[in-house]
Amino acid sequence: MNETAKKPLNGKKLTLRILLYLVVFIVCVLILYPYFAMLCTSLKGRSEIFAAKGTILPKEALWSNFADIWQRAPMAKYMLNSVLIAGGSTIIALICGIPAAYALSRMKFKGDIVFLGFVIVSQMFAPVVLLIGIYKVMMTLNLTNSILGLIFINAAFNQAFTIWLLRGTFMGISSEMEQAAKIDGCNRFEAMVKILLPVAAPGIVTTLIFVFINAWNEYTVALTLISDDLNKPLTVGINIFNGYNMIEWQYLFAASLFAIAPVVILFAIIEKNLVSGLASGGVKG
Amino acid sequence: MKKKNLKKVLALSLSLAAAISLAACGSTPAETNTKDDTDTTQESDNTEEETESTDKEESSGGKTEISVIAAQYGQNTADWWKTFEADFEKDNEGIDLNVEVISWNDISTTVNTRVANNQAPDILNIDVFADYQADDLLLPAKDYVSEETYNKMYEAFLEQSNVDGTIWAIPDLASARAMYYNKDILEGAGVTAPPTTWDELTEACKKIKEKYPDVYPWGIDMTTDEGQAAFAYYIWNNGGDFTDADGNWTLNSPENVAAIEYAIGLINDGYTNTDPANETRYDLQDMFGTGKVAMMIAPNSLPTYIKDGGNEVNYGMAPIPNNNGTSVSAGVMDRFMCFDNEYSDEEMEAIKTFFDYFFEDERYSAWVEMEGFLPATKTGGEALAAKDESMAEWIDIVGSCKFYPTAKTEWADVKQGVISAEQNALLGESVQEQLDNLQAEIAP
Amino acid sequence: MKKFIRKIEPYLWILPSVLLMLIFILVPIVFVFRMALSKVSRAGLIKGFTGLANFTKILSTPTFSMVLKNTLVWTVAVVGLSTLLGFILALILNNAFKGRKIARAIVVFPWATTLVVQASIWKFILDTDYGTLNTLLMKLGIIDHAVNWTPSAGAWFAWEIACGIFVTIPFVTFTVLSGLQSIDGSYYEAATVDGANYWQKLFKITVPLVSSSLTVSTVLNIIYVFNSFPIIWNMTKGDPGNRTDTLVTYLYKLAFYNGKQGEAAAVSVIGFLILLVCATAYMVATLKKGDE
Repeated sequence: MNETAKKPLNGKKLTLRILLYLVVFIVCVLILYPYFAMLCTSLKGRSEIFAAKGTILPKEALWSNFADIWQRAPMAKYMLNSVLIAGGSTIIALICGIPAAYALSRMKFKGDIVFLGFVIVSQMFAPVVLLIGIYKVMMTLNLTNSILGLIFINAAFNQAFTIWLLRGTFMGISSEMEQAAKIDGCNRFEAMVKILLPVAAPGIVTTLIFVFINAWNEYTVALTLISDDLNKPLTVGINIFNGYNMIEWQYLFAASLFAIAPVVILFAIIEKNLVSGLASGGVKG
Repeated sequence: MKKKNLKKVLALSLSLAAAISLAACGSTPAETNTKDDTDTTQESDNTEEETESTDKEESSGGKTEISVIAAQYGQNTADWWKTFEADFEKDNEGIDLNVEVISWNDISTTVNTRVANNQAPDILNIDVFADYQADDLLLPAKDYVSEETYNKMYEAFLEQSNVDGTIWAIPDLASARAMYYNKDILEGAGVTAPPTTWDELTEACKKIKEKYPDVYPWGIDMTTDEGQAAFAYYIWNNGGDFTDADGNWTLNSPENVAAIEYAIGLINDGYTNTDPANETRYDLQDMFGTGKVAMMIAPNSLPTYIKDGGNEVNYGMAPIPNNNGTSVSAGVMDRFMCFDNEYSDEEMEAIKTFFDYFFEDERYSAWVEMEGFLPATKTGGEALAAKDESMAEWIDIVGSCKFYPTAKTEWADVKQGVISAEQNALLGESVQEQLDNLQAEIAP
Repeated sequence: MKKFIRKIEPYLWILPSVLLMLIFILVPIVFVFRMALSKVSRAGLIKGFTGLANFTKILSTPTFSMVLKNTLVWTVAVVGLSTLLGFILALILNNAFKGRKIARAIVVFPWATTLVVQASIWKFILDTDYGTLNTLLMKLGIIDHAVNWTPSAGAWFAWEIACGIFVTIPFVTFTVLSGLQSIDGSYYEAATVDGANYWQKLFKITVPLVSSSLTVSTVLNIIYVFNSFPIIWNMTKGDPGNRTDTLVTYLYKLAFYNGKQGEAAAVSVIGFLILLVCATAYMVATLKKGDE
């Protein structure tokens, strides 16, 4: 489908092209609008937000709102915690998920279907529902109020996606190369690391993004498990602006913008790798 | 090669262990359930052992530890408790105090999760107590509060935590509600005096609506957050109540039905904010601040709230309009309670010290003032009234207002039930039917 | 010995994953089952076995059937529409055009945003009195007075579904995109040589090849959406009168507002069984298809 761009454009193609840009433009505007609203609101004072005659752009941009949130809450610590939680969860989810997906795609064994079923079934309870049970486990392991506990929980709740997606990716890659490597004296593990994983990079990157984003955005479990303000991730921490006495929209949105920025930046970086990984033609093997 | 084998054997034994635990887990549900039936006593024994062992661990540091969960009333609550903790530990060297401040949104979820896991805090500051009391989790107030501090409290407030003749919790602060009105809007619409009766209220709403079509004359909040407050305002000011004098539920009394029908009527006539099921009191307060809402029922903290929001309103305060000759204000009171965690004598002493320290007049009135509420102690009330005239007025109101029947265990159901009845009435269902059903459910 | 090791080798590979899920998911699940079959006090203490009492109590309330219906509407609408729209968006973004990279980065925004924030901003945008949508439309001269965008429970629910679709589309789009990019270009070349047009290529090559990766993501999506909590909770809390509740928000209210944790656990077990049946049926169907 990519070839359309390379050929000279005739009338019909030109219309299609214009249509394409139009659709993409509209989609982007729709997606960006909430962020635009968030940014504008985060720069207003409370009286302007609730004013009878509303404004689109702030009358006067109160950049001080962004400074204020750092004073009112340990934002830097929240952010560090979020990075640790999301990063740690991603690593553990992949360390546990890659071998499992490998076994499912490369080996026949009794109970493989049962295991796959179990993986899906494990996702069928929302964490909200399991809160009390999760708390009990964490208490036994002495992991309440700890970042490590959240890392394990997030990794566990992301196993299903990790395993299913990687299994699919691995199955789409021929095992011939690995077998050749094994004849050359590699064991299975080495063959997987050296031959399969580089080829499967795009699938792994997708998984990585997925897990990272999910862990970064997790809210309910963190809320219940973490009691110490200094161990809170951003999602829970910024809730201080959504308090009992008032919702401070301007602070809530300013803090939210901080919370989403790193993930967006991360994605921008990784998206490049995704494209180049694909461009190298690794998938074709 | 050898090494590799060893690894594999190790991994093998591990996986076997896992397989066994898997099998064991598979049969757990049924097992646990039957166990539950017969062995509850044994289970509770285990729990005691657990708590005991953790207690020992805690005291091994040489200090007595006390854990407190406190509700977050405002932006400064957490900071205030931090300072309190430091001061307290400085003045009481043998005690390690640990205060956790949790927002209202999350506090009951967090506390219930911990209680279910036998991790109740020592001291809890929250609104309700009856559920914990019904499970025998609490100590009587006299056990953990010194006599001197206990005697400082308004008796009427202590009575709110009375179950079967014992007081289980002590008040930490209170708030009361009154009607606030925007003087400029009322004057502009030709309403000369703030409405005192329902007829006057309807009349005022009509005039305001005619003159200022963009203004909502009257603010109503029937949200899951605080819809029970609206219920109380209207039934109490129509001579109705949640219970009769003997404490039997009377949710579907004719007065109650008429009262809620009146409130729904105001909404249907377009005299109120458009979406009472979703607009919280804080939304209304902000709209009052910008002149979008002309009259509303709010607590004494409203002026501060408006000022913090950067708004200025020419407002007045009046009793809540009524339909039977006597205006009743709605009081809200929060509490401290102490969980029965099998304290040693030192721990009990430490808890008493905590309350004495907290309720010391100067510290306590500073806290109440900072949070913008009303004091629950006589001495605190006197101190604040002397300092601030508008406070004196409120302290009179709080002395005469009614409270929700929070000491009854059905209260949680009643609260959700009346909110749901209001919201269904908003959707066009009959108030009578809704309240009849609720009454039948609560008091069959 | 060697044969034995070979036999157990696969289990070693899946062991870490099994342990992880066993401890952190299965044990809590067992606990929920136990609660569902127990009498649980308001403060959350288990007071003995009650059999199916929690289930019969839940099933006898009229609210439950309404909530169940909401949950099905919610799941089908969000998953169905977001899959369709996400697929189309992926096809568009798979074209080479100027600014494609930027467009893709933008598409991931809703996904990269915490649902709590997402729900808050939408609630804020839609508000009749201070919402930015009314302000914007009034400034643009499209409307001349504030419109109440959420006049009824149904309207609220529709907006919640829209918000759900909005945040789910990126997930579908990127799953499809990664599927599209792993399709061997030679298929298309061969088809072009055979004179196939765009639509033929789409339905004969693209859709079948992508749908394998979409199978799993759809099953997972159904589960995630079915169990989704923050959007509805932050926008309406299931109000008014349970009209916008789904099973998850309903059971949350039961557990933490009404103190009926046993009944809440029963609701979640019911939800689990529904999902189990649906997901199994779906997987059996697709696995069979795969065998053919």
